[in-house]
Amino acid sequence: MSIDSAIPRPLWGVMSRLLTYGLVICLLLTGGPACSRGKQAAALKIGLAEEPRTLNVWLASDANSQKILRQIYQPLYRPEPATLKLVPWLAESEPVFDPETVSYTVKIRPAKWSDGSDLTSADVAFTARLIKEFKIPRFSAKWSFVTRIETPGPRTVRYYLKAPTAVFLSRTLIGPVVQKKEWESVARAARQLEKPLAALLNHKIASPVSSGPFMLTQWRRGAYLHLQQNPHFFGRNLTIGGLQLGPHVENLLFKIYGTSDVAILALKKGAIDMFWQGIQPGYLDDLAKDPGVRTISSAKSALYFMGFNMRRSPFNDLALRQAAAALIDRDFILTRVLQGHGQKMFSVVPDENIFWSCPDVDRYFEGLPREDRIRRAYDILTRSGYSWEVPPVDASGQVQTASGLRLPNGAQMPRFTILTPPADYDPHRAISGLIIQEWLRELGMPAYARPMSFGALLQQVKERHDFDTFILGYGKLPIDPDYIRSMFYSKFDRPRGWNMSGYRNPEFDRLANASRKVIDPNQRRELIWDMQLLISRELPYLPIYKPALIEAIREDRFHGWVPMQDGIGNIWSFCRLRPTTLEK
Amino acid sequence: MELNKYILRRLIEITVIFFVILTVLFLLFRLAPGDPVSRMVDPSMTAEDARRLIEQLGLDQPLGTQYIIYLKSFFSGDLGISFHYGVPVLDIIGERLPNTILLFTTSVILAALTGIFFGKIASWHKGKKIDSWLTIGALICHTLFLPWLALIIIWFFGYRIGWFPLNGILSPEIWTDPANGFFIRMLDVLHHMALPLMTLFIIHFGSYLLVMRSSMLETLKEDYIITARAKGLEEKVIRNHHAAPNAALPVVTSVALSLAFSINGGALTETVFSWPGIGRELVFAVSNNDYPLALASFLLIAIVVLLANLLVDILYAWLDPRIRY
Amino acid sequence: MSLPDHPKTAARPAGLSVRFHWIRRFREGWAIFRENLIGRIGLMLLGLFGLMALCSFIPPLIDPMYHPMTGVDPAISHSTGPSLKHWLGTDFIGRDIFSQLLAGARIAFMVGLSSALISILLGTTIGMIAGYAGRIADTLLMRLADMIMVMPTLLVVLILASLFGQLSIWTIVLLIALFRWPGVSRVIRAQTLTLKQRPFIEAARVAGASHTRIIFRHIMPNVLPLSLLYMTFRVTSAIIIEAALAFLGFGDPGTVSWGMMLQWVWKTGHMFQAPYWLLPPGICISLLTLSFFMLGRSMDEVLDPRLRKEDTNR
Repeated sequence: MSIDSAIPRPLWGVMSRLLTYGLVICLLLTGGPACSRGKQAAALKIGLAEEPRTLNVWLASDANSQKILRQIYQPLYRPEPATLKLVPWLAESEPVFDPETVSYTVKIRPAKWSDGSDLTSADVAFTARLIKEFKIPRFSAKWSFVTRIETPGPRTVRYYLKAPTAVFLSRTLIGPVVQKKEWESVARAARQLEKPLAALLNHKIASPVSSGPFMLTQWRRGAYLHLQQNPHFFGRNLTIGGLQLGPHVENLLFKIYGTSDVAILALKKGAIDMFWQGIQPGYLDDLAKDPGVRTISSAKSALYFMGFNMRRSPFNDLALRQAAAALIDRDFILTRVLQGHGQKMFSVVPDENIFWSCPDVDRYFEGLPREDRIRRAYDILTRSGYSWEVPPVDASGQVQTASGLRLPNGAQMPRFTILTPPADYDPHRAISGLIIQEWLRELGMPAYARPMSFGALLQQVKERHDFDTFILGYGKLPIDPDYIRSMFYSKFDRPRGWNMSGYRNPEFDRLANASRKVIDPNQRRELIWDMQLLISRELPYLPIYKPALIEAIREDRFHGWVPMQDGIGNIWSFCRLRPTTLEK
Repeated sequence: MELNKYILRRLIEITVIFFVILTVLFLLFRLAPGDPVSRMVDPSMTAEDARRLIEQLGLDQPLGTQYIIYLKSFFSGDLGISFHYGVPVLDIIGERLPNTILLFTTSVILAALTGIFFGKIASWHKGKKIDSWLTIGALICHTLFLPWLALIIIWFFGYRIGWFPLNGILSPEIWTDPANGFFIRMLDVLHHMALPLMTLFIIHFGSYLLVMRSSMLETLKEDYIITARAKGLEEKVIRNHHAAPNAALPVVTSVALSLAFSINGGALTETVFSWPGIGRELVFAVSNNDYPLALASFLLIAIVVLLANLLVDILYAWLDPRIRY
Repeated sequence: MSLPDHPKTAARPAGLSVRFHWIRRFREGWAIFRENLIGRIGLMLLGLFGLMALCSFIPPLIDPMYHPMTGVDPAISHSTGPSLKHWLGTDFIGRDIFSQLLAGARIAFMVGLSSALISILLGTTIGMIAGYAGRIADTLLMRLADMIMVMPTLLVVLILASLFGQLSIWTIVLLIALFRWPGVSRVIRAQTLTLKQRPFIEAARVAGASHTRIIFRHIMPNVLPLSLLYMTFRVTSAIIIEAALAFLGFGDPGTVSWGMMLQWVWKTGHMFQAPYWLLPPGICISLLTLSFFMLGRSMDEVLDPRLRKEDTNR
């Protein structure tokens, strides 16, 4: 490979010039630290784990966009932190129900948008009509039973319903309200197009008009979001739900930290005041040593469960599901996998949801040691006609390694999989899957835990219904327990429906339908409890655990976080936080 | 004349390769299990909602139709709308690409220059202690496990001694303050770039040093070097003005040829440092089932690598008329 | 360029000559290799890791709690530092890090060697076929190689892993191999092209040998040393890609690889507080790849001048 030496000369010249540039850059780099010590603006700095998806409220299905948008768009009612009871927020008072016309009348507070214009009933009605007209995903189902919306006055809205519906207040009226002025033209343009919904969802909102405590000033993609106090916030100095509102923070700065390790370092360094993301218990020991950082553990409204495919053998057999339930040691998972930061779950409604959660569900041998669990499971299966080549319990009652489990019809039990999300998505579920696999094998069940990518997992479970068992979780369940209906109602047993187990029970359907119509909370609770008992007996889902939400903050610059279910990053906190330095 | 023909032939080849990659990826993304809608674990998302969304995204069409639609819009310069962000893919790429170019080219140029410099020294002292140390040092740098190295660098320089920001591309405190002018903002970006740059530099520099060293050793055996020696020129002059420029050429080409490999490292670095570039976006887009964005970013990477390869080939063909494939 | 061939080579049955040639070549090569400092360091390191991989079978025999994947220390339920019972400490559910490290060595060898072997086999075969057959087969195969070569392997495997769910370790091995052959095949093709011009190939063809026979009996032995050299580099890249994949969370969750260990330490938030857990796997990955790389480089120095000499002498 010989090359004439004359030719690359100019190349060499270019190179030495580049070298000079490189040196200049190096010099600049070392000069950097001095410049970054700019003046400290009084901003609350919050670390986010991922870039928000969008500021278009209708597209924003991800947690991070919602964290921003919750400061901007406000609902009529929202749960207050202590009891989780709904209190009027944008609304002035409780809705007035008229049984005659099956209508609810809501009075709203005097409020303004961040552009200075009034927030009126027209905005509220427009939002509802927009959802209904475009059938906006995630929202439209909540409005399906509302037939008509009227605005008798500038601050009065009246909703007409098909029939009395319990979830109207607890689910429909907690949605965000958008400005008519901002969205009317968008909707008009979208209607003309071939795909109106897509046009609406993909409409780029640069700066959403806010009715909340903050409004967006700037979003530099990939770097930060800057929010400023909204001078027209309706709640300023009001006392709602027993809490006096501010906000007292001038600016919010959201920064993106791709990994929690780096975010934790930033927190320790003082570069952020809060990392708005649940962290792993592994960080706790280290953070405890840092006097500036405080960790707060909150309950999560969550459900992590094992689901069984009831559409096909072998898990269509109740005895097998019960045996699996007997073998699964929630205490082990809680102490080892969750490191003690979480709770065991027995009902599909979390315990913290005190009003709706049923305390009498079957606890499946809570606290029993390993060997006894095997014996119980052995009993359940032998009673239903299962047999083994080598049974898990020998003649003298000693537990041994079982093999060759046979179904009641005499066939060898086929190998089956436990589908879980991958370890990077959620290490807890992936590891739980492996542990449960070992437990089931002790009874001779040929179980194989299989972590798979989240999208593929959901497609297999939710669309194709091609699975045996799976472990999934809902990270953010609403407070209203109506979701049990969508999880087990027979009508939702279809591709992409939420009844993933394929549970069909007319008794349950009847209870579920009735529970929607009863307005009286105590009466409704009876029905909801019956539904939970039924589920716990028939085990389409086996609730296992819910992790605690651990969040880390610094309080040297701002204080006054409001603890609440699902974490301190709630609107109450942002309305009440005060700069620490000002008071000194 | 013949060179032109050669370039034309290569261009045609590249176009064909490009469209084969496009087709394979397109099929891969569409045939893979899971879709952007199925990822939404939200009990208020009903089956009807999901169906409607799928339809609005155009994913209910038969595969062939989808492909033709994609090709059509591709040729009219439209790469589609990102499923995840809901904005045109080109906008996102336009935002992310400059960041990648800034980090990547700076690191490659710095690493190549340093590699060339030290490779020259190593070859000149072949067999001596300094050569062994440089070679072993380069080998170690080259084989360090990148994400691990990046995390340790973050911990040490970003936290322990705290000279540099931990991650990201700029500090909002500086950029939101209108008092800060362009120069201070740019300094801030450079300050943020230091650590990812250091990571990429360490990984790349070793291999460039090794290439330079062996290429230099080979060059020193060439006739014209021997002639120069015979002419009684000073060793330093021979090294710096005769041998080094020629020996550096393989380094330049190895930069281009190992581009695909370096891009892996670039993506890892961007991910660990939350550097808003194309590589990180690609990793995200893939895990979010955001096909249009993932496809476009991958195609972009592919075309860059293809063109870089072509450039090297042309360079060689131009420099050495004997080479023709 | 090509000088007249030694008459002996053409006259003698090629296979036999090649076999003797091999042994002699190996012994000569070994002599040069032993002089090479870098090669010696590489080999020593490699031996150390080999020993680790072999030892990985021992801990689970001592006590089931030392099983790298499923064994947990009943007394420990969080990550602890090094102790007499656990030399490198335990991970977050009480598994022994040292036995995981040993098992990781085994996995790394397995991944590296098998994936390199497959890619070398593929690359050598394809290179020889392309070089020998020429024309359309050559064009097609080489354009395919070009296409695969421009793909960043890690990103492609990452895309596949993320699209098709968690891949098993063997699928990962196969995928890496499938994307790493083009480099080898290019070199082997070039080598084959020069070999094809040699009289001894011509002689074999005249003697009536089939194409398959010529490729595998006459060409292959001559390109094999080069393949072997490339193999060491392929081992390096395979180990790194597997580790990066596992680190990003797309590895096989059922195996204890070093990348997986790093993923665990990362995802469970022990990254900056458990150096006893973070440092060993990272150092091991780097050192093992380093040792293969050093081996490859010194082999390069041993083989390279010889290969070039043959180019002109044969």
